[in-house]
Amino acid sequence: MTALSGAASLDSLKETLRHRHDRRGGRAYVLARWAAAGLFVAVLLGLVVSIAIDSSQAIAHSGIGFLWSGTWNPAANQYGAGILVVGTVVTTGVAMVIVVPVGLGMAAFLSELAPRWLAGPLSMAIDLLAAVPSIVVGLWALLVLSPVFANHVEPFFKSIPVLEWLFHGPAYGPSILLASVVLAVMTLPTVVALSRTALSGVALADREAAMALGATHWQVIREVVFPGARSGIAASLTLAVGRALGESIAVAMVIGNNPSVPHSLVAPGATLGSAIVNQFAEASPGIGTSSVIALAAVLLVLTLAVNAGGQAMLRGMGPGRPARVRKTRVAQ
Amino acid sequence: MTEDPDAPASEPAGASDGARSARYSSTRTPASVALEAARASQPPAPDSEPAVTLESLKVSFGGHVAVRNVTLELPARQVTALVGPSGCGKTTVLRAINRLHDHTGGRVEGTVRLGDIDVYAPDTDPELVRARVGMVFQRPNPFPTMSILDNVTSGLRFNGVRNRALLREAAEAALRHAALWDIVKDRLNQTALRLSGGQQQRLCIARALAIEPDVLLMDEPCSALDPVATAKIEDLIAHLATEVTIVLVTHNMFQAARVSDNAAVFLLDEDRVGELVEVGPTVEIFDSPRHERTKQYVTGHVG
Amino acid sequence: MSRAGDSVAVPAAAGDLDESQAQLGWAARERRRPIIQAAARRTLRRRRLAGKLVQALCVLCAAIGLAPLVALVYYTADRGLPGISLSFLTNAPVPEGVPGGGISTAIAGSAEIVGLALVMAIPVGLLAALFLHERRGRLAAGIRFGADMLTGVPSIVIGIFAYALLVRPLHHFSDLAASFALAVLMLPIMIRADEEAMRTVAMDLWEAGVALGARRSRVARSVVLRGALPGLVTGNLLAVSRGVGETAPLLFTVAAPSFAMTLLIYTDGTQPFPSDQQTAWATALVLLMFVLILSGLARVVAWRLTRRAR
Repeated sequence: MTALSGAASLDSLKETLRHRHDRRGGRAYVLARWAAAGLFVAVLLGLVVSIAIDSSQAIAHSGIGFLWSGTWNPAANQYGAGILVVGTVVTTGVAMVIVVPVGLGMAAFLSELAPRWLAGPLSMAIDLLAAVPSIVVGLWALLVLSPVFANHVEPFFKSIPVLEWLFHGPAYGPSILLASVVLAVMTLPTVVALSRTALSGVALADREAAMALGATHWQVIREVVFPGARSGIAASLTLAVGRALGESIAVAMVIGNNPSVPHSLVAPGATLGSAIVNQFAEASPGIGTSSVIALAAVLLVLTLAVNAGGQAMLRGMGPGRPARVRKTRVAQ
Repeated sequence: MTEDPDAPASEPAGASDGARSARYSSTRTPASVALEAARASQPPAPDSEPAVTLESLKVSFGGHVAVRNVTLELPARQVTALVGPSGCGKTTVLRAINRLHDHTGGRVEGTVRLGDIDVYAPDTDPELVRARVGMVFQRPNPFPTMSILDNVTSGLRFNGVRNRALLREAAEAALRHAALWDIVKDRLNQTALRLSGGQQQRLCIARALAIEPDVLLMDEPCSALDPVATAKIEDLIAHLATEVTIVLVTHNMFQAARVSDNAAVFLLDEDRVGELVEVGPTVEIFDSPRHERTKQYVTGHVG
Repeated sequence: MSRAGDSVAVPAAAGDLDESQAQLGWAARERRRPIIQAAARRTLRRRRLAGKLVQALCVLCAAIGLAPLVALVYYTADRGLPGISLSFLTNAPVPEGVPGGGISTAIAGSAEIVGLALVMAIPVGLLAALFLHERRGRLAAGIRFGADMLTGVPSIVIGIFAYALLVRPLHHFSDLAASFALAVLMLPIMIRADEEAMRTVAMDLWEAGVALGARRSRVARSVVLRGALPGLVTGNLLAVSRGVGETAPLLFTVAAPSFAMTLLIYTDGTQPFPSDQQTAWATALVLLMFVLILSGLARVVAWRLTRRAR
C-alpha cells in the first residue's frame, strides 16, 4: 500500500478498495447479471413471438377479418373476435360506470373527509380487497351473487320503466351485468388507492388559498383538490380499465358464455378473456386452438395499449405540471 | 351578526398622514412620489375605528402555546407590520384573523374583532369572515389548473357571484391594482404558471383583492422573490393601503421601515412563547422604542 | 364591453399606478363590495348544504366500496368453515360418493408449483433488478419499460404463452409449465419491487454520507443488498401472494385440477353438486386465509422497515 500523501492518494486508495470489493466474484456476478437480463428479454420476446406464431394458423384460416368478424361459432368453423371485443368493451364499460363514482367517492372520503384513525384502516381494507384471488371472487359471485341477482337485483332493474330497454329479457343470474359488477369489485382497489394518493398530493398551499377566499370545504375539494389530482385520477382509471379488460376467470364463471350480440345487460354474453377460458378445452386442435390463441393475441395488444397509456400517465403525475386550461368560462 | 355596509368616509381633503411622509424610505421612486401626492388628495383618510382588534389572543397547538397575551389594534387603511424573528408567532397571529387555524388544529382563545364582528363567535360563519379578509401567502400559489382570469375571479365565484360583467370588471380592477393588467390582458386564458415568481405573487394579490376585502393579510409575501420583484410589491403595498387595511408579516426590518405605518414587535418570552412586546408607529419603534427588548431587536437589525 | 352602472371611462394608456385610476377604483370598489358580500351571505347556506350532501354521498361510496370485502370474507368463511377439518387438509381426494376425501394433493401441488416458480423467479428477479440498479443506459430503460408492460399482461395470456411454449410442443401438461407461467407472472413485479427497494436504500445511504464520498452508483453492492433486505422481502412476498392466487395460468398447463388449489376451486365450484361446491368453498377459505396472511406479513415487514429507517 502506497503512503498516503494528499487527497489524490486517498482517492486512489478508495478506488482500489472498491475495486477489490467489487471484483470479488466479479466475473461470475457480471455474467449472472447479464444472463438474468437476457433471460427476461427472452421471455418478453418469446411471449409475443410464440403467441403470434400460434395464432397465425387462425389468421390464415379466417383472414384479417378475424379481428372484427361478428361470429364465433366453432361448430360451424367460424371464428371471429369481433363479438368478443364488443362484449369485453361492454363489460368493462359498465364496470367503469360503477367504479368511477364509487371509487372516486371513496377516495375523496379517505383523503379529505375521514378522520385519520378511520382513513388508515379503511385504506388497508381496500388494499386487502386487491389481494383476494380472482377465483375466490368468481366463486362468491357465482354461488352467492348470482342467485341474488336473479331473484332481486335484476327484477328490480327491470321494474324501472325508464331502464326497461337496458334490462329486458329473461334474467337467470349469469349475465353481462353480473360480470360487470365482478369487474368493478376487482378494479375498485386500484382506483381508490391511486386516486387517494393523487388527491392527498394536492398542495396544502393551494387548499389554503381557496379557503382564505371564503370557499367552503366542499368548494375547496371540487375546485382545487379534484382538478389538481386530475392526472393521477386519469392514470388510476386507465390502469383499472387495463385490469378489467384482461380479467378472465372470474368473468368466465358468471357471464354465461354466450358469444352473441348483447341486447340486454341481463342476458349472458362473452368477453375475450371468458371465451379463452370457456372455449379452450373444447377447441378442436388446429384451427380451433389456434383461434383461441389468436384471441389471446388480440387481448394482449388491447391491454398493452391501455396499460402503456396508463403507465405514461402515472409517470406524468408529478406536481407543477401546467395543465391544459380550458377557455375562460366566466360565471354561468 | 349584523354588518354596516361600508360607506366612503368623508374626511377633509388634504389630511395627509405625517407618519407616512416621515417614514424611512431608501428609495423614492416616481411611483411612490405620485402615490403620496395621490394620498394627499384622497378622500378616504384613515378611519378612527380600527379595522381589526385583537384582545388577549392566545393560540396553542396541542398542549403547546405558540403565542399569547396579544392585544392589538390594527388601524384602518394603514399598513401594520408584524415584525420579529422567526417562530415568535407573527404568522400564527395573522392566520388567527381569518380563522385559518380552524383547519390546522390550532386552538384560539381571546377575541378577534373585524370591525364590529366577533370573528370567533359561535354564530359567525368562518367563510363569510374569510370573504372579507384577503390573504397572500409566503410563496406564490396561483391555482395551477386555472387560467389567469379564472384565478383572479376564483374568490368571487366561490362566493356565488355569477354576473359575468361584474366578474370581468372586478378582475380588471384587481389586476390593475396589482400592476398586472398590462402584462396579462392579452393572455387571460393562459395558465398562471407561465408568469414569473413576482408576477405570480401579484396575481395572488389581485386574486385576494378581487373580493374587495376590508383587510389584506400578507404573510412574508416577498420572501420567495428577487429584489426587483420585491420592490414592485412594496410599491404595491404602499399603493393599496389607501383603500385596504394591510397587515404585513415580515422578518425584514428594512421592509417594515419602508412600507409600514405601524409596527408590532413580537419576541419570545422566557417560556419560549411568542408575545407582543411593543406596538406603535413605525417611526417611533425605530427611533425611540419604549421597551429595552424592542430596542435590542431593532438595533440588532437596523443600522 | 359594458360595465353596469359605471359611467366613467378608463383611460387607455395609463400606467398601472396611475393615481387617477386609484381614485376611480375606490368608487367602483364601494359599489362592488356590498354586492359581493351579499352574494356570499346569500349563497353560503346552499354551498354548505351541497357540501354536506356530497359528504354523505362519499360516506355511502366508502360503505359500498367496503361491502364486497366484507361479503367476500363473510361468505367464504361461512360456507367454507364447515368443510374444513384436519382430515380435509391432510387426506387425498377420493372418488365420487366416497366420504372422507381431502385436498392434500391440491395443497401439495400448489406448494410445489409455486415453490418451483419461486426458485425460477426470485434469483432472476434479483439479478435483473441489480442489473437495472447498477447500469444506466437505454438497455436498462428498455428492460424497465418491458417490466412495467409485462405487469399489465393478463394472466390468461401468460397461461397461453406457457401452453404454447411448454405444453404444445411436448404434447403433455406438466407442473413445470405451470411453474413457468407463474414465474413469468411474478417476475416483473419482483424486478420492479427489488429495484425500488435498492434505489431507496442506496439514496438513503448516499444522503447519509455513509458511502464516504462515493457516487450513488458506487455504493457497495453488499451494503445495498443488506439494507434493502426488508424491502426485497416485502416486494417478493407481495408477488408470491399474487402468484399463489392465480388460476388462469394453470388452466392450460396443469395436468389435473386436483393438482392445484385454485384450479380445484374452479372445477368444483362450477359443478352443480353441493358437495363439490362445499369443497370449493373450503378450499377457497384455505386459499384466502393463506393469501391474506401473506399480504399481512408483507405489510408488517414494510411497516417495520419504515419504522427502523426513520
